[in-house]
Formats: sequence, C-alpha cells, structure tokens
Amino acid sequence: MGLSLYLALPVMVILLIIQTSVLPRFPLWGVVPQLMLLAAVAWGLLEGLEEGALWGFVAGILSDLFSITPVGLSALAFMSAVIVVALLYRTLPINRFVLPVILSLVATLIWLFVYLLLLRLMGFSSSWQQISDLPRLLLVHGGLVLPFYWFFYGLLKALRPRPIEV
Amino acid sequence: MNLGGNNDSTQRIRWITFGLLFGLALLLLVMDLTRGVEGAFAFIRNPIAALMDWTAGRTDAYADALAGPRDLQLAGVQIEQLRQENDMLRRELEALREVQAENQILREYFDYVSLNPTLDRVLASVIARDTSPSFRSLIIDKGILDGVVVGMPVESTRGLVGIIYRSSSRSSQVLLLTDNTSSVAARLGESRATGVLQGGGLGSTLLMDWITLEAPVTIGDLVLTSGLGGKYPADIPIGRIIDVQRSEAALFQQAIVQPAVDFNNLEAVFVITNFDPVDTTIFDELPGQ
Repeated sequence: MGLSLYLALPVMVILLIIQTSVLPRFPLWGVVPQLMLLAAVAWGLLEGLEEGALWGFVAGILSDLFSITPVGLSALAFMSAVIVVALLYRTLPINRFVLPVILSLVATLIWLFVYLLLLRLMGFSSSWQQISDLPRLLLVHGGLVLPFYWFFYGLLKALRPRPIEV
Repeated sequence: MNLGGNNDSTQRIRWITFGLLFGLALLLLVMDLTRGVEGAFAFIRNPIAALMDWTAGRTDAYADALAGPRDLQLAGVQIEQLRQENDMLRRELEALREVQAENQILREYFDYVSLNPTLDRVLASVIARDTSPSFRSLIIDKGILDGVVVGMPVESTRGLVGIIYRSSSRSSQVLLLTDNTSSVAARLGESRATGVLQGGGLGSTLLMDWITLEAPVTIGDLVLTSGLGGKYPADIPIGRIIDVQRSEAALFQQAIVQPAVDFNNLEAVFVITNFDPVDTTIFDELPGQ
C-alpha cells in the first residue's frame, strides 16, 4: 500500500488541476467530470477494496481542499462509492470493457447520493443543477473510465516484475 | 498452508484500513467545521494553488487562441482590449441609466453621491473553480499577503461577483452570487423597491424575493446592491430582471434575475479591500441573552 500512496498523490494532484483549471474552460458535453472519482474507481477495480478506498480518500481530501465542502465529506462519499463497486466487481465475471463502464455509472450514482445526503445532514442546501446534469455526467463518466482503467492496467503490468520460469 | 488464518488476517487488515480511513475523514470533517486546522490545509493548498495559477494562465491563453484568430497575436490583444472597453462602456451605460432613475433622490444628496465610489480594489486572476457540483465558487490568486481577507466583496467590470469565503496566504475562495448559500440585499434601479437575491436553482439565474406587491417590477429592470445588511457596498450592478412571478394571493412578488457577470468565463475580478462589512451578529442574539 505504501507505493500506492506515493502514486495516488501525484496522480490525484494532476487530475485535480485538470479538473479545476482546464476542464471548466473546456467542459465535456457541458459538464465537468469528476476525474479523481474515476481514477479511484479504476484503481479500486484493478487493485481491490483497500487500495480503492485509499485512492478514494486521497481524492476526496484533495477535492474538498478546493471546494466550499467541509474537508472529509467528499472523502466519505468517494470511499463509499469505490468500496461498493470494488465489492461488486469481485462478485462478477471478469470483463475489462463493459463492466468498468457500468460500475463507473454505479459509482457516480452512489457518490452523488452519499454526497448530497451528507450535505443535507450537515445543513447545507444543494443545487438542482447537478440533478439536471446527471444524465450527461453519467455518459461522460462512462466514456472516460476506460482510458483510466486501461492506463492503470498497463502501468501495473509495467511496474510489477513478471514471473520467471525456470 | 493456513488459508483460513491468512484469510482472517486479510479481513482484519481490511477492516482496520477502512476504519482508519473513514475515521480520519470524519475527524478531518469535525476539525474543518471547527476551523481547527485551517493553517495545515492552507499549507497543502498553497503549492497546489500555485500550480493551478500556472495551468489556468496557459489554459486561458489557449482557450482565447481557439476562440479568436489563431495566427494573429496582435489581434488577440486588441480583442481583449476592446472587450474590456466594451465591458467598461456597458457598465457606464448602466450607471448612467441608474443616475437617470435616481435623479430626484440624488438631488438631495448631490454632493455625497459619486459615480465612482472611493473604493480600493485589488485585481485578481481566477485560477480554479469549485470541485464540487453543489457549490459555486472560484479560487483567485490573491490572499492575505495581498490584503484579501474573509468577507470582502468581489466584483468584475460587469458587476457583483460574490464574497471572499476563505482566504489563505496566496489564494482565496470566492463564494459566487449563484451559489445556493448566497444571499444579497438588492434593490431595483427604477422603482427602488428592495428584496433579497438568492442563488441556486436551474441555470445561472438568481431569484429576487421579498419584493412588495405595490412595487412595479418590469422585465429589463436593473438590479443593484442595496447596501442593506452591511455585507456589500450599495449600487453595484448585479443584473437585469428577465421574469416576474406575481400572485395576488402572495404577500410578496418574486423576480428572476439574469446576472450581468458571465461566471463561466470569468478570468479576472476585483476585490474591494477598503469596505468594512457591518457586524450584525449583535442582532442574532435574542433579547435578554
């Protein structure tokens, strides 16, 4: 898990900067995707529950540092979403194309539900804008998760030593 | 081969990891709500904000290049100058219309009123937007070291933008007018009727509530800050009325306001640094407390 944390931090910082400083000027189909959530989901699917939760935690904390949201709230929402989809992924037959797309949609719905619920519980009002944007956000997330998934898949393959046959 | 034992220890590690992560998130949540670790957060936020500043500068240049002529740098500069001039002229025009409507009242306060109030402003670049889909805020590249502190009003050449919500040494977060939690005391330019502007809802419009039924409200009316409540200086343009919701059964009428500022393409803002918000917390206490 140590190496994973060192990888998670720079990856999430880069995605945070893209999400906050670049994508608002070039929104995809009118919405700004949650890149850090997608990265955490993709990592969680490939590396399992604990790793996914750790990446969700890092993503959530960084996200909240640059939002009005109290720090920690997004971390709870991100971790919940990643843990649920990583659990689902283990119970389903391995598929590296359709399953990540479907599970990214499930993760987006869980993240938004938990996030809005926690905001409500803490006395914040939430905007209807995000509900109206949800269908487009789901489509954009569904389209973006595969590049993340395959990038991490390739990265892990390159980083891990191959077994040697004697 | 003790698979059961390994499984048990794996499960135990898993639950400990989840417990630690969720516990830490909750702890940070509580500490942030009590503002106990703002310094530590700013320590992390500042270097990332510097990177965002650099990235936003390049992104803006690239976006502008894509939007305008691609091969003429000079044309880009001229367009930017004309855009700023256009913004200034629009604002002057709105100010002149406002003066026309206020003429009767201003006669009494003629010496007092000035079209350009003596407010000090700090120019700041927008370097990032809120990561949350629930909130509308911006991050600017000026902070405490530049004299920007929490509570200062923020405007652009087109009108009011919001208020400083959080400030660290080199960056600040601006809560936009369109945010759900935002409310601004406002008045109409023509009739001078007052109301409260609230953010939220669909699109980027604002809702002006608590306008008395007697007040004439027409589409196209200019909306300005009223100065009531002491959070914002008076007479900063906010936007124009695009719809009126009036019911004889209701005690007040409502109006939908289109903000003068295009929040999606905002690149620079002014922070008003010498306006002292009035402390109204004394009125929050109940009598006898």
